Amino acid sequence: MGIGRRTVLQNAGVGTLVFMIGQRQVWLTPKEARAASVPFQTLTPSQIAILDALGDTLLPGAAEAGIAHFVDQQISIEPRDALLTLRYLDVAPPFARFYQQGFAALDATSEALYRGVFVSLDDGQRHDLVRHIVDGNPPGWNGIPAPLFYFALRSDAVDVVYGTVEGFQKLNLPYMPHILPDRSW
Amino acid sequence: MRREVPADVVIVGAGAAGSLFAAKLAQAGKRVVVLEAGPAWRLQDLVSSQLWARRLKWSPGPVLGSGTAAIGNGFNAGFGTGGSALHHYANWFRMHPEDFTEHSDYGRGFDWPMTYDDLRPYYDRIQSEVGLSGDAAAEIWRPAGDPYPMPPLANFRQGELIAKGFAALRLRTAPTPHAINSTEYNGRPACIYDGWCDAGCPIGALANPLVVYLPQAQQAGAQIRPWSYATRVLTNRSGTRVSGVVYKDRNGEDHLQPASVVVLSAFAIQTPRLLLNSATHQHPRGLANSSDAIGRYMMVHISGTVYGLFDEDTEPHMGVTGGSLVSQDNYAEKKKSNYYGSYQWLIGGALKPNDLLGIANARTEVFGGALHEFMAHAAHAIGSMALVGQDQPLVENRVTIAAQNDKFGVPLAQTTHQFAPDPLKLYNAAMAEGLDIFRAAGAQEAWHGQIGQQHILGGTIMGSDPKASVTNGYGQTHDLPNLFIAGSGLFPTSGAVNPTFTIHALALRAAEFIQSHWGSLS
Repeated sequence: MGIGRRTVLQNAGVGTLVFMIGQRQVWLTPKEARAASVPFQTLTPSQIAILDALGDTLLPGAAEAGIAHFVDQQISIEPRDALLTLRYLDVAPPFARFYQQGFAALDATSEALYRGVFVSLDDGQRHDLVRHIVDGNPPGWNGIPAPLFYFALRSDAVDVVYGTVEGFQKLNLPYMPHILPDRSW
Repeated sequence: MRREVPADVVIVGAGAAGSLFAAKLAQAGKRVVVLEAGPAWRLQDLVSSQLWARRLKWSPGPVLGSGTAAIGNGFNAGFGTGGSALHHYANWFRMHPEDFTEHSDYGRGFDWPMTYDDLRPYYDRIQSEVGLSGDAAAEIWRPAGDPYPMPPLANFRQGELIAKGFAALRLRTAPTPHAINSTEYNGRPACIYDGWCDAGCPIGALANPLVVYLPQAQQAGAQIRPWSYATRVLTNRSGTRVSGVVYKDRNGEDHLQPASVVVLSAFAIQTPRLLLNSATHQHPRGLANSSDAIGRYMMVHISGTVYGLFDEDTEPHMGVTGGSLVSQDNYAEKKKSNYYGSYQWLIGGALKPNDLLGIANARTEVFGGALHEFMAHAAHAIGSMALVGQDQPLVENRVTIAAQNDKFGVPLAQTTHQFAPDPLKLYNAAMAEGLDIFRAAGAQEAWHGQIGQQHILGGTIMGSDPKASVTNGYGQTHDLPNLFIAGSGLFPTSGAVNPTFTIHALALRAAEFIQSHWGSLS
């Protein structure tokens, strides 16, 4: 059948995502895309800032691992090609709408509780606010259920930090691929 | 609309049941066309990554869920050749004899239009054709059947630890029967225990359709058409027989595939959606729906996971996703002291760090620096086991047509599902038992997750009474003799075992029925 035991296929082309730099399609990991300042396609600067801040609150290191580039790339492609946890959660596309509604609700709650948007809060306040969305809708929240937003964003953070070859290495776990992602995430 | 060359049989869905139908009917000389909504996956597409595995899940239009326990279609349903069997865990159990006679025995649910003894020969033949690994003698609960053709898969450290807890409470475990090779079988290699089962098994150790029945179907001349999204089943003018299937190609162009026999194997939600969307003036409630049973009696298996942290390396990344051990001590007697239903434990499934069933989601409430600490510890110390519990067929749990359309203008499926009191009591009792087992196993800490679900069943149930069911025991619809349904949607009751082995046995039985009755069907 053409594939042997523990065969590594170098041409699988699977560990990276396609990012646009100018008119060129470039295969990069989200971490590399962040380091290269690849332009965003869908998220606005304020949404990028809130996603990085929320990502690092959910799992420190998520921003550096490229959570904003990961989400931006994923919500900018056909839903059937997306690799987001949202696919499992029966959320109707467009997936960008889910994130945009969640960011707006997070900021509204932040304003209600702390009189400032999420990115303006200190680390302790951010942590405290996230605790409020784990299992219910806090004051000021509207739109998608807060626990669903928390679960999806936390999953995104875990995906970019631990769902990679590099992430397995951080946990001293062997990746043991049948088919190896061709880059380190 | 482009009219295709007529076929003898058109099959909608290239998953477990559809692939088997295609193979058997093509081998019998029928001209077979299989319409698959998604892509034609290749083994090299099955990348070892929980992220990339998500491409294998259903995506052409969401299923709109409602109810207090909305059905989770996104994680269950497949997309592309192989269907959900491409990412399934290959825990292949037989339904128990008592699962077939619940109405007669307990006044609950429905009787199946067959007994276990009727289905047993098909289980035996399928396990020989596909190849199953297990230890029939150790499975003291196992219904009568031929021994497995391969010895069981290996157990790993977390399974060994948790088994001690069962033993301490005088509960029994046995190797899980798997459609995964423990030795080379029929030219397919043995499992190497990398734990990537739900990302698809590209080496072919796990018996997904890409390595078993789809190649057989193609070799026998069946046409597999990917990116062919069925939108409507047509009838003849008098409405007495079906005549073909309309589908959209990747560009949105309509095609008509005429056929003498139509087999719908599009999984438990899309098949009723297709039938309801195919209403005509002769069939105003949808095709094959004179009983008003289309879409009704949707079921899942109520599920939950028990976790524990141990003081030694549990090697949780090793093994197979579906677990190495099973316990069915609470299966045979359905009427318990304070609830009704069977359940089983699936023990020691391989865990990866991320994804819905990954290590991080063992503690969904933990975030921040504490999540890093948990991950570092749990990656080498966690053990888990999953409950598969019986659901009840409720008439109000159903698939209907939504007001919202997909991108082709076809109404989406809307599901409604809630658990009856019995499954909820079963869950609570099982979780309490699970925690006791983990403590007895020596876990430093034990906890369980929230109520979950596994599998999707019902919606086009089979039965002997045409007024209360959609098909007979061969999946032949009561209303339209050349329209067949296949897959888990046929199940009139859920039992409490993973359904894929039974789906295969039913499909083999039905495919042979079609062959032997071809003269009256075509």
